[in-house]
Amino acid sequence: MGQIETRGLSRTFGDVRAVDGVDLVVRPGGLTGFVGGNGAGKTTTMRMVMGVLRPDAGEVLWNGRPMTAADRQRFGYMPEERGLYPKQKVADQLGYLAQLSGMPRAAARVAVAEHLERFSLSDRAGARVESLSLGNQQRVQIIAALLHEPTALVLDEPFSGLDPAAVDAMADVLRDRAAAGVPVLFSSHQLDLVERLCDSLVVLARGRVVAEGTVESLRAHGPARYRLATGGDVGWVRDVRGIHAHDVDGGTALLELVEPGAEQVVLREAVQRGPVHEFTRVIPPLSEIYREVTA
Amino acid sequence: MSTTTEQHQDQDSRERDRREEPPTDDTLRHPWALVARRELATKLVDRTFLVGTLLTMAMIVAFVVVQAVLSDRVKDYDVAATPAAATVADAVAQRAPSLDDGVRVSVSPVTDDAAADAALRDDKADAWLTQRDGNWVLIGRDEVPSDLEAVTATVVRDTTLAQNASAAGTSVAAITSGSELKTDVLVGNAEQRNFAQGMAFALAFLFYLSSIIFGMTLAGSVVEEKQSRIVEIIATKIQVRQLLAGKVLGNTALAVGQMALYAALGLIGLSFTSFGGFLPSVSGALGWFLVFFLVGFLLIACLWAVAGALASRTEDLQSTSTPITMLLLAIFFGSAFLDGTAQTIVSYLPPASALLMPQRILEGTAQWWEPFVALAILLAAAAAVILAAERLYRRSLLQTSGRLSMRQAWATPE
Repeated sequence: MGQIETRGLSRTFGDVRAVDGVDLVVRPGGLTGFVGGNGAGKTTTMRMVMGVLRPDAGEVLWNGRPMTAADRQRFGYMPEERGLYPKQKVADQLGYLAQLSGMPRAAARVAVAEHLERFSLSDRAGARVESLSLGNQQRVQIIAALLHEPTALVLDEPFSGLDPAAVDAMADVLRDRAAAGVPVLFSSHQLDLVERLCDSLVVLARGRVVAEGTVESLRAHGPARYRLATGGDVGWVRDVRGIHAHDVDGGTALLELVEPGAEQVVLREAVQRGPVHEFTRVIPPLSEIYREVTA
Repeated sequence: MSTTTEQHQDQDSRERDRREEPPTDDTLRHPWALVARRELATKLVDRTFLVGTLLTMAMIVAFVVVQAVLSDRVKDYDVAATPAAATVADAVAQRAPSLDDGVRVSVSPVTDDAAADAALRDDKADAWLTQRDGNWVLIGRDEVPSDLEAVTATVVRDTTLAQNASAAGTSVAAITSGSELKTDVLVGNAEQRNFAQGMAFALAFLFYLSSIIFGMTLAGSVVEEKQSRIVEIIATKIQVRQLLAGKVLGNTALAVGQMALYAALGLIGLSFTSFGGFLPSVSGALGWFLVFFLVGFLLIACLWAVAGALASRTEDLQSTSTPITMLLLAIFFGSAFLDGTAQTIVSYLPPASALLMPQRILEGTAQWWEPFVALAILLAAAAAVILAAERLYRRSLLQTSGRLSMRQAWATPE
C-alpha cells in the first residue's frame, strides 16, 4: 500500500500562479476526489504528481519519501486529454504500454487478454484504435491505466464523456482498485458523483486548497441549518435571538444557527404556537459547500 | 504507528517479489529498445512502406536489365582513316564481326589528319585510327569504346606482325616492336571516372531520398504521439530521452537497412553488366559510404525528431521541417556540383561530409587519412546535435498549443 502526498507544490506559467502551495494527501484504500473550477490548477497539480511537469517549488512524496520515476512507472495515469496511437491495433498497443510500465512481455500479453475480456472488448483486440467507437476508445484508455496492476491511480476527469452505464462501470472499477489498497486520485466537475463515490475530497480554487477532508466532515463543518414547518405563519422566528432566518415563507422557514442552543428555543416556541409539521437539521449538499469555499 | 510498519513490510515484500521475477526481458532495463522495436514493427507491417520499398527494388532491377540489354546490342562504329591508315582500317572493318559479335566497324576515308580531327570533333566518326612515331593510335572524342579498342588492337597487332615479317632479316623482337596499341582521348575523361561519378550521383540521390522519407516518417511519428496525447502517458513511464533514442535508432536502423538492400541489389545487378569490372575498385568506397550514412543519418534523424516535437499537429510539420529539407537539398546539390577546393572543404563539414567525403573516396581524390578526420568531426557534431535535440525535444513535447519556434522550445521550462 502506498500514499501520495504533496507538500507546498507550486507552479507558475508566465505571470500566472497556476498552483500555489498545494498540500494534499491521497490515502491508500480510498477514493480521493479533486474538485475545482476550470483553471483552478487540478490538471497542473496532477501533471506535477506524475512528473510530467516540474514544480517550481514543493515536493511530491510516495510513502513519505520523494517520489521517483520508478515509482511513477508503476502508476496508472489518465491525462486530461485522451489519446492512443490511432493506427495501432488495440492489443498491440496495450501490450506496448504494459511493457513500458515494466511488465515482461509474456505477462503483458496475458494481462491484455484478461482486461479486454473484462471490458468485453476481446473481439476488437485486432482492430485499429481509430476504428473503435468513442465509448470503446474510452474503455481502451481505461484499460491502459489499469493493465499493469498500478500501485496508484491518478486520473484526470475519468468520467467526462462517459454515458451513465459507463460511469457506473468506471465507478465500480475505481472502488474495486481502492478496495485492493491502491490510492486513487481523480478530478471531476460532477460534484454529485464525487459526493457519491469519494471517501475524501480536496477542493482547489485559484491554485490553492480551500477545503479538504471526508465528505461528511466537510458537510458537517458547514453552517448548522434547520427547517421548520408549522400550521401557522412563522414570521415570529425573525425575532428569536441567536438565529438567522434565511428564508421565511408562510408556515415554513430555513434557519441558520448563530448561537448553539437557540434551535431549542425556536422549537419550544413553535410547539406553543400550534402544530409543528417538521423540524429537521439540514445538512447542506456538497455543491453548496463547494460554492461557499470557492467563492 | 502499527499501520506504518505494516505498510513498510508490505512494500518490502512486494519489492522482494519483483526482484524474484525472472529477468526475461532486456527491454525492461532498456526502454529505448522497446520503443525502437515498436517503430520497426509498425513500419514493417505498414503497406505504404512495403509497397514503396518493393517498387524501388523493381526500379533498380529494371534499370540494371535495361543496362544489360543495351550492352548486348550490336554497336556500329565509324572509324576515320587517312589513306596511309586505310589498309589497316579496312582490315579492322573486315575482321571486326569475327572478333566481337557485338561490334560492326565501317571506315570513313578522310584526306588528312586535320579532316580526321574535325570528323571526330563533329561526331561524324567514333574514332580515328592513325600512326604516330611508328605506333598505331586509336583516338576517341571523349572516350575510346572498349570493345572497339579490343578489336582494333588485335587487328593492328596481326597486321603489323605480318608487315614486319615481310621485311626480311628481322628478329621476332623487331617484328613485335611497334605493334602495341596505345589509346588516347582528346577531352580528358576516362570511362572509370564516368562510372565513379555516376555511382556517386546515384548514392547522393539515395541518401537524399532516404533522409527525406525516413526523416518525414520519424517526424510524423513524433507529432502523432503529441497530437494523440499518448506522449503524456509515455512520459510518465519512461524518460523522454529514452523515447527519443528509441525512435531515432529504430528509424536509423530502417533507413540504413533499406539503403543497404538497395545498394546490394544495385551492385549484384551491375556485376551482370559491362560495368562489372569496375566494382572491385569501388567496394571500399561503398563501405565508407555506409559508415558515413549511418552517422550522418543519426544526426539528421535528431533534427527531424525536433521538427516533429516543435509541431503540434501534422499540418504544422510542413513548416517546422522546412529548414531540414532545405539543408538536405543543399547537401544534394552540393554533392552534384561542388568540385576542387570547395568540394574538399565541404567534405569535412557536417552533415554534408556524410555524403561528400564518401564521394571523394569514390572519385579517388581523398587521401587515406581524410575519411577518418571527417568521420571524427561528424561524430562530434552528431553528439552535440543529439544533446541539443534532447533538450528541445523534452521541452516541446508537452506543449500542445500551436507551433513552437526553436528559440521558444529552448527556453521553455520543463
